[in-house]
Parts: sequence; structure tokens; C-alpha cells
Amino acid sequence: MRKQLCGIVMFCVLSAVATAPAALAGPGERYLHVKVEDATKGESVNVNVPLSMAEKILPTVNKGNLHNGHVSIGSAEMNDVDIRALLDAVRTAPDNEFVTVKEKDQDVRVAKSNGNIVIHVRDGAKGEKVDVTVPMKVVDALLSTAKDNELDVSAAIRALSDAGDALLITVEDASQHVRIWVDSKNGSE
Amino acid sequence: MILLGKVALGIVGTAVAGVGLLCSDGMVEVKVVERHPEVHHVYVIAPAMLVPIGMRFAPRRELSHAAAQIQPWMPTIRAALDQLRESDDVTLVEVKQPGEHVRVAKEGGSIVVDVEEKDETVHVSTPIRAISSTVEQLAASAPSI
Repeated sequence: MRKQLCGIVMFCVLSAVATAPAALAGPGERYLHVKVEDATKGESVNVNVPLSMAEKILPTVNKGNLHNGHVSIGSAEMNDVDIRALLDAVRTAPDNEFVTVKEKDQDVRVAKSNGNIVIHVRDGAKGEKVDVTVPMKVVDALLSTAKDNELDVSAAIRALSDAGDALLITVEDASQHVRIWVDSKNGSE
Repeated sequence: MILLGKVALGIVGTAVAGVGLLCSDGMVEVKVVERHPEVHHVYVIAPAMLVPIGMRFAPRRELSHAAAQIQPWMPTIRAALDQLRESDDVTLVEVKQPGEHVRVAKEGGSIVVDVEEKDETVHVSTPIRAISSTVEQLAASAPSI
């Protein structure tokens, strides 16, 4: 009986030791990737920033409109548009297409879909395509600061890091291709 | 004879400890290969600890301007270096152009810069701890107000 008990205890201890590192390890690092490619010049630029690093660095930068991880927005810069009220209205609205503009060479679409704000711009004349997808959680985090004329960028980065893999921005024209996305890979490929 | 052995052991022990201490911050590695007009190879490997020590002997007057400029950014630099030290290995920036490739990465405990051009290849690897100590030394040499 004692031997069996010892065996069970040993098994439990060994199992705990084997699983402890996995249990103790936090969620993996997440990275913000920026990739700019220019096919005509054969150039490419890749930037990979660990989000935890961005989150820690941002509050230390105090220059211009950026203070302690918050961005101040002057009413003059926004042509008296209340950006907070605007974002808050979008946040609380159900999934919907808010803006659709169709012109001869241009299509613009702003919508809320599956918990994301989605912006599509197509410019046929210039051959440009812009797609922006921002998770609503990030918008919530931006508005989480108490002050009316500020956006909390640090909180937005935290929210981005908690959100899943996401393609945030793509811009394409005849020669250039820009991509900004978040995932857990430490390289752009 | 035994006394001589003890003295020798003491000397060897001190030497080993000294080398260990000197290398404790890692090594700075610089490798340059020039291919044009003539082929030149330059390879320097030195204990990283020598860099902040060397900073102590640099003339303060020469450093004060750089120190004054770096001072306001010290919290940002500290935060960046701390996070880099803790982060996994990552290629931070990579630029590719025809005939040119630049890469800045965090590898192990070091920041590695690789530049490849048609006529030249440069590889520099510096331990983050050494960068941190050097920057702190530089900031400390700022003139006090």
C-alpha cells in the first residue's frame, strides 16, 4: 500500500514538474510588422516590433502631442470634429455600413463588421487600394482615457496584443505595396 | 615546492577569474570585408566590458554635447534596452535594395547589424548589456545644471 502511495505521489510530482514550465510561461510575444515593397525599384523594408516593447517605450516618450502614452488631439487639427464622440458612436452602433461613396473612379466604404471597423478605398484612376481593419477592442482602448481631448495609444497597443492575428492596413498602388499586421511570428516572412 | 605550487595556482586562478570577469558582459565583434579596390579583411573581437571602461577615459568636454542630447531620451532608451534584453530573438529592421542588404536584429543577448553591399560586408555584434552601460556612462557625463 505504501509503495503504491509513494508511486502515485512520485507520478504527481513528476507530472507537475513536467507541466510547470508550460503553465508558468505567459502568452507568447506578439509582433507588429510593417512591410513596404516597391516592385519597380526592387526594394523592400521590413520592420518587426515586439508589442510588449512598444507598450513599454510609448509611455516614456514625451514630445509633441504624445505624453505618457496618450495623444492629445486639438480641435483645430480635427476641424472641430469631436473624434471621441465619433468613435464612441461607431463603437456603440450595431454592424452596419456607415459610409458608401461611389464615384466614377473612386469607391469609399466605411463599415462596422464582426467587431472591426473596416475602411476600403479604391481609386481606379491612380490604381490605389487602401484597406484598414481596426478591431473594436482597440477603439475601446483608445477611448479608455478620462480626458476628452486624448486617446490612449498605450492601451490600444495592449488591446492589439490581446487580440488575435490581424491584418490591419494594406495599401497598394501600381508599384508599392504596404502591409501592417500583428501576429506571433518574429519575422516578416 | 608546495609553496611554489600554491603561488602558481593563485596566479592562474586570478588570471582565469580576471578573464572571466572581463568576458562576463560578452564580446563585441566587428567584421569588415572589403572587396574593392583590394580585398581587405578586418576582424576585431574584444570584451564588451572594455567599452564602458573606455568611456571613463574619454575627455568629458568632447562627450558633453552628445550627453546633453541623449539625456531627455534616457527613459526611452532604458525601456527599449530592457525590453530588448527580455524579448525573443527578432529581426527588427531589414532593408533590401538591389546590391544592398541591411539587417538589424536581436540575437541572443546582442544587437547585430549586418550590411552587405557589392564591394563591402560589415558585421557588428554588440551585447545589449554593454550598450546599456555605455549609454549610461554617456548620459552621466552630461554637464549638471
